[in-house]
Amino acid sequence: MSVAEAPVLHGRPGDLEVTDQVLAPLWAGSRAWAALLGLSAAGVGLLVVAITYTVVTGIGVWGNNIPVGWAYGIINFVWWIGLGHAGTFISAVLLLLEQSWRNSINRLAEAMTLFAVVNAGLYPLLHLGRPWFFYWLIPYPSTMELWPQFKSALPWDIAAISTYGLVSFLFWYLGLLPDLAAARDRAPDLRRARFYGVCALGWRGSSRDWSRLRVGYGLLAGLATPLVISVHSVVSFDFAITQVPGWHSTIFPPYFVVGAIFSGFALVLILVIPIRRVYRIENLITERHLDAMGKVLLVTGSIMLYAYVVETFVAWYSGNLYERFIFLVRRPFGPYASAYWAMWILNAFAPQLLWIRSVRRRPLPLFLLSVAILVGMWLERFVLIVTSLDRDFLPSSWDLYAPTWVDWSLLAGTLGLFSFLFLLFLRLVPIVPIYEIKRLRHELELGHAG
Amino acid sequence: MTPEFPDGADLPPDELSRRELGELLGAAGAALSLAGCIHSPTETILPYAHHPGPITPGLPLFYATSMVLDGYATGLLVRSREGRPIKIEGNPEHPASLGAAGVFEQASILELYDSRRMRGLRRRDQPAGWNDLRRRFGVREGAPERADRGAGLAFLLEPTSSPLRRRLLERIALRFPESSVYAHAPTAGYGSRVAARAALGAALVPQHDFRDALRVLAVGSDFTASGPFHLRHARHFASTRRVSTPRDTMSRLYAVESVPTPTGSLADERLRARPSELALVLAAVAHELGAGSEALEAAADRLSPRQRELAAVAARDLDRHRGRGVVIAGEALDPAAHALAAWLNQRLDNVGSTVWYTEPALHLEGSPAQDLARLAREIDAGAVDTLVIAGGNPVYTAPSDVPFGELLERVEETICLAPYENETSTRCRWAIAAAHYLESWGDARAYDGTVSLVQPLIAPLCGGRTADELLAVFAGEESHDAHAMLRDLWLGGGDDGAGTRGERGGDRFWERALQAGLIEGTTLTRSAPVASLDAAVRLLEERLREREPPGLEIALRSDPTVHDGSFAGNRWLQELPDPVTKLTWGNAVLLSPRTASELAVGNGSMVEVETAGRAVRGPVFVLPGHADGALTLHLGHGRVAPFEPAAAFGFDAYALRPTAAPWVVPGATLRALAAGEMSARERRHHALASTQQHWRLEGRDLVLRQTLEELRARPDLAAAHRGPLPSFYGWEPDPSAAAHARDQWAMTIDLSVCTGCNACVIACQAENNIQVVGKEGVRKGREMHWIRIDRYLTGPPEEPVAVHQPMLCQHCERAPCEYVCPVFATTHSADGLNEMTYNRCVGTRFCSNNCPYKVRRFNWFDYSHGHDDTAALVWNPEVTVRERGVMEKCTYCVQRIRGAQIQARLEGDRPIADGEVVPACAQACPSRAIVFGSLTDPASEVSRSRQNPRLYSVLHELGTEPRTRYLVRLTHPHPELARPDARRPADAESTPR
Repeated sequence: MSVAEAPVLHGRPGDLEVTDQVLAPLWAGSRAWAALLGLSAAGVGLLVVAITYTVVTGIGVWGNNIPVGWAYGIINFVWWIGLGHAGTFISAVLLLLEQSWRNSINRLAEAMTLFAVVNAGLYPLLHLGRPWFFYWLIPYPSTMELWPQFKSALPWDIAAISTYGLVSFLFWYLGLLPDLAAARDRAPDLRRARFYGVCALGWRGSSRDWSRLRVGYGLLAGLATPLVISVHSVVSFDFAITQVPGWHSTIFPPYFVVGAIFSGFALVLILVIPIRRVYRIENLITERHLDAMGKVLLVTGSIMLYAYVVETFVAWYSGNLYERFIFLVRRPFGPYASAYWAMWILNAFAPQLLWIRSVRRRPLPLFLLSVAILVGMWLERFVLIVTSLDRDFLPSSWDLYAPTWVDWSLLAGTLGLFSFLFLLFLRLVPIVPIYEIKRLRHELELGHAG
Repeated sequence: MTPEFPDGADLPPDELSRRELGELLGAAGAALSLAGCIHSPTETILPYAHHPGPITPGLPLFYATSMVLDGYATGLLVRSREGRPIKIEGNPEHPASLGAAGVFEQASILELYDSRRMRGLRRRDQPAGWNDLRRRFGVREGAPERADRGAGLAFLLEPTSSPLRRRLLERIALRFPESSVYAHAPTAGYGSRVAARAALGAALVPQHDFRDALRVLAVGSDFTASGPFHLRHARHFASTRRVSTPRDTMSRLYAVESVPTPTGSLADERLRARPSELALVLAAVAHELGAGSEALEAAADRLSPRQRELAAVAARDLDRHRGRGVVIAGEALDPAAHALAAWLNQRLDNVGSTVWYTEPALHLEGSPAQDLARLAREIDAGAVDTLVIAGGNPVYTAPSDVPFGELLERVEETICLAPYENETSTRCRWAIAAAHYLESWGDARAYDGTVSLVQPLIAPLCGGRTADELLAVFAGEESHDAHAMLRDLWLGGGDDGAGTRGERGGDRFWERALQAGLIEGTTLTRSAPVASLDAAVRLLEERLREREPPGLEIALRSDPTVHDGSFAGNRWLQELPDPVTKLTWGNAVLLSPRTASELAVGNGSMVEVETAGRAVRGPVFVLPGHADGALTLHLGHGRVAPFEPAAAFGFDAYALRPTAAPWVVPGATLRALAAGEMSARERRHHALASTQQHWRLEGRDLVLRQTLEELRARPDLAAAHRGPLPSFYGWEPDPSAAAHARDQWAMTIDLSVCTGCNACVIACQAENNIQVVGKEGVRKGREMHWIRIDRYLTGPPEEPVAVHQPMLCQHCERAPCEYVCPVFATTHSADGLNEMTYNRCVGTRFCSNNCPYKVRRFNWFDYSHGHDDTAALVWNPEVTVRERGVMEKCTYCVQRIRGAQIQARLEGDRPIADGEVVPACAQACPSRAIVFGSLTDPASEVSRSRQNPRLYSVLHELGTEPRTRYLVRLTHPHPELARPDARRPADAESTPR
């Protein structure tokens, strides 16, 4: 069965039917939702405690040391920013590539991106020794007439991430306008009608509105596409521009970007699979979507495999004593070897199961695989950061790293914050773009799209 | 942009603005509070420098004084700012210092400002006054003297060489003829005294001069890093090992030792031997040199083939260099070893050239255990009713079979002088705060007899008294003013006890003496007695007759960082890594890898060491290079005094020390503790906190090593590790650099002479306000030292060669840290310094990640806060105290550079002379391993060191172009001696990960 044969939309629901189906969760909550929200609020509480403790006491409450100057803070940062890649990739790149299957999942993915970027942005601030001076990394005309040093990758990070966050937000919000207007029009009471009315920014659904939306959306898509490539490339420069063995590598930008898309898609799957079931929108997010995302995982996972192999080969081929030690001794056989091998299995080998079509199409295996990939990608960043720093040039300064409860709390706390924001999103905003589904249906009826 | 109007143009003219008023009030307040801090002594003391006049705020003054350790004086110069001493440096004119200073001297300043010090005087739990004490024990008109002529009166002193104290003891003896004086010296040897009396016929001590010693045999002797003259010996020994061209020659050191020491790490031929075998090695050498005796042969037969071979080779080598060698036996060795060493020096014609004998500088020597045991018997017999403990902490340092603490409580009147409330003072009826030596007047002799003066830089902060003042009360002196007594002794005529007259020209003489910190011409006269081989053989026979009980031998050692325990409250010293194990905050049971595997224990295993029914518990540290079948335990840890939780780290090895054998305890057993036998709390308490986890070089060319022969054959070995590298961007140094700054600063470190003694580490800590992070901090890898001494082991694990490499900021010309800093907090200066701007640092730690030398240190917490106001007085006002969240590192002591530049500019913009700027580390280094100066001056010492064929850069291939460079470590092994291949990587037994 070719891809084109699997439907992107089950049945041909009428316009009103689609609207009501998607808007239904906005009007009525559930106990389960409230319970989950409470749970994630507890996570947010933990995050607040951990942040307060860190800022008040000092970064020493983390496990970092010399030589391991960066650890969980940066691992989590890279992980979250990687997760934030799928949304824009789905929305922008696939839009430009005219992949119509993206329509049902793009809003979810974009929201996920936005929340992931919020989490990612927390870490670089917190991991500063003096976080209250974070703005010194931003180029602004200070009275000291001192600019950030542009040779360092960190001001690039600030620029890349803030741009990415802003464009992602605009892109998401612009696409949300017609649906917010629909919610306004269908709101059961005045209070909510007013709320959505304000949020809809006066959307009237006129031809002019629609035409400007198309133009603006297209432009933002064009703007967001290079960002997908640039953000994680820039993040990879934090490592690649150094001379730390295990970091100093030209393969990093593409390797990081692919890894980001890889983990981002895994997170989309983790979110979409339960949501489509709970919200009974299997007709809107179909097996065809799962299959397509599975294929993206397969492709990116295979690139990861290739990158791991090449990285190791180059370390050996370089003949460099320090690189060889990191790649051929330290990582595979050192005290963190379990993380290293788990990284290979979860990121490089497990996705190869996706060659099997039934794995790609069945929600449960896909879900489990996605969880494995998320864990694997976190471990990849752990291996990359910790096992390079703890064994660099002079054996006298070698030391191990162990996280503290604060490190774990920050990780758990950002997971809580992410879930909290996402649950609010599920409750407040139409999770599937209604107008895109309607357009898709029309196009399907007219035979324009597969 | 220039403002249109000048500042303040909008204010009413000629009136104080609100802001100016605030500034003035603030300045006045600061000045007042500053004035309040200064406790000037009332007596006149004179600065060392030619700097008459009052204190100039902002300018340091240097005063000469001396610190007394184990009775011997080391001359010091103390830098004083605004009336408070802030840094201790060596006195170049003093024979025991020669300008260098050891770790104890330098760290002692921390204790001056310790707010936990005892204050004033107390009787039982009540505060008392000095006059209460005088009324009770001094001479009073009308009051009768003791009827027993002092028979029940006993004094327990630390070993002392002080002429003043000698005079006071004489006066006490006049007043109380029946009183008795004991000296307890927990770190003293006893072998050399016994040997001297037996073999030389008089209680003489050997003096050594290493300047001309081409061949040195050191048996159990750490002469470059411990002992009263180690600074001098290290300087002189290093001078025989400075090779700047392949034509130069160097000395050869044979070291025989049971536990690796700094001196052993310099050895060209190092031999392991159990503590009980050390004397036998000397016997074997004597045997090789033709001393015929069955005992010598029997002793030699007990040695392993390798030990015998080395003894033979060393004997021949020493014989070929007669008159230009030294045989030196360690203080802790038994009498036989010392007697043999004395005979060997005589046989080798060394006596008179490199070795001579003098009377001991100490007039009260004491012993590590026996004197205290004698006193204990007296107390036990009820013969003591008043005991004066004038210093020391005998309850803690008593041998295990002397229950001194319990006995003390049976004495009616106990008077104790102590700097802190300690194990002894809490058991005494009277406790008197001891003055710090920087608050005291006094005198003492250096090891060669030079009379050294102790003069105060500050009035006693806690109302402390000196031992002399306490003894003066008992001597019935009218005045108890130490300064007056001292002047009286040295100017008022009378015999100072060593045949030298005090009268030398009045005030001029006194001024000169105070300025120099010593009295010239007071060295003890040399003698060259004949050493008797027969006496040595008799002592050896006695030794050989002793039955050796089965089991492990324990060697007890005074700790290289907390000494006998008296420095246990010193946080700098507690956090100072042991030069060999790199352990901080506590001690460990040291043993060899083979012994460890035989006993099935490993690094960090908790064990119980037991001997003669007494046991201690502690962690194991496996130390390659340690003798098999022996354990080494450092004294001075595990103190339980209530005042100092920090001092409670480690275990108390005194608990295993018997009176009969204070240094080597035979017949011990070691047992690994099962999981349930030690509580989790105890395990945490004993957990090892080492600043270095990994000892092998992993085949990396970080510490280049060559033998002298190799250097002659291949003088260009180091050339591959210096000079231009291929680069896309060209390799020419910036031609404009010289135009920007007159000087280009650089450092060269000679690895051939670095002993790893830590003097530089403490010097840097004191100079640069480096904070202490505590045991947990060290365990987490967060120690703050700007200079550390990396120690690597090469060669096979059973016979490793240890090499030391001081590692500090390399001040790279192409610094990897600089380009990654996002906020320009670390930048390069025109004169070649890699500078750190603390105010600008936001703490990304990117610079540390990218530093291949890992010399940057991060303030994980607010380490500088939480200190009380007194403790903060020790901080150098010229160096910023860093706040939390910023990175810091070695600055090449930029404050000293800038200070010299300002001075040079004031003096007509003259150039800075070579040697005018000396960083704290180079200044303290006893062996002058560190050379610092400007590269623009072709005649400077550092420029000349750059021409040395041994010059190389660490990690040269990275292209960082460090300004700190190293000289290849050179050894001079004996060509005939078979040895394990030192070049073979030591990774055979396990793969490092």
